[in-house]
Amino acid sequence: MQNPDNHNKDGAHAGTVRDEQIAAFKEGVRALAPATPAIAVWGMVTGLAMVKVGLSQTLALAMTLLVYAGSAQLTALPLIMVGAPLWLIFAASVVVNLRFVIFSAAFHPFFRHYSVLKRLLFGYFSGDLGFVVFIPRYAEAPVKGTREQIWFFWGLSITNWTIWQVSSIIGIFLGAIIPTEWSLEFAAVLALMAIVVPMATSRPMLASIAAASVVAWLAQPLPLRLGLVIAVVTGVVAGITVEKAQERKHARVGGNS
Amino acid sequence: MTPSVSPPASDNLYVWLAILLLALCTVLTRSSFMVLGDKVPLPEGVRRALRYAPAAALVAIVVPDLLPWSLATGPVFDIKIVAAAVAAAVMVLTRSTLAMIFTGMAAFWLLRWLVL
Repeated sequence: MQNPDNHNKDGAHAGTVRDEQIAAFKEGVRALAPATPAIAVWGMVTGLAMVKVGLSQTLALAMTLLVYAGSAQLTALPLIMVGAPLWLIFAASVVVNLRFVIFSAAFHPFFRHYSVLKRLLFGYFSGDLGFVVFIPRYAEAPVKGTREQIWFFWGLSITNWTIWQVSSIIGIFLGAIIPTEWSLEFAAVLALMAIVVPMATSRPMLASIAAASVVAWLAQPLPLRLGLVIAVVTGVVAGITVEKAQERKHARVGGNS
Repeated sequence: MTPSVSPPASDNLYVWLAILLLALCTVLTRSSFMVLGDKVPLPEGVRRALRYAPAAALVAIVVPDLLPWSLATGPVFDIKIVAAAVAAAVMVLTRSTLAMIFTGMAAFWLLRWLVL
């Protein structure tokens, strides 16, 4: 296990190393800058949604600081509101977070030098934007886990965390002032839809979303929001089925030409 | 999400436990293969299946809120579905989350003002 930061201890290079780290960190901050308004609105909507659902300000602050996952929080809130069982809340947020499992596999070569504890820390800080900005930039890098890459990650991720938390906390306090009649909790529903719409780019994905929607609608009267579980399973099966059918079709077309 | 404040959200222990489980979920999913990647590769079949689950879960949360119905009342029309359709169209056209949330809210307020 060699840590690329071990070069740090090399006194002669200390100055240049520090410069390199700061430059990479700043580069990470800069790479995230265009996403600032989106992160801020998202954070604010999530903050508002937490208090509008009835969480106290203390609970809402604890939730934003500990959980730090907007879509999982927005998914969990309606479940918490109806008093759904804890296992279902956990299961639903795991499913919404499954994209992070794929992201973490992409991040693995960059952080494999670090201890498990540090990797958990990298994990907590690696949100959606961490992946979207970092991976396309370094996926083809011949050496993975360099000092530049790690400090770029921190510049990006700490900025992301800060903007998110500040705007979420503003939302939590605004929530106490904004009247209920504005129905701002609807903004949370819109924010969830805003994640789904850009995902609907391929036919299998559309089929998956359509199937999950129909099942989720039909299964509403089931207790404990169990319709959620059935809808997810249906969505995954529909997506894979259409994807396989498409592959077979392509294979046939390819064979004929 | 109905705006009424219900008892579970103010039940402290229940909400604290939910928050701790959600925090656990953040760390477990985000660092899963950062930690396991040395031992287990993520198989292509699993990777493929995982691509579809998050969107399915998100719509499964959103749909009952937009198109509610129950055995007692039958389908209930809610202006939210119209506002949501407007917002989705804006998202497709502009690709902007901000534009989507703002037009969605504006459409919702306008419809409510027209209907009431």
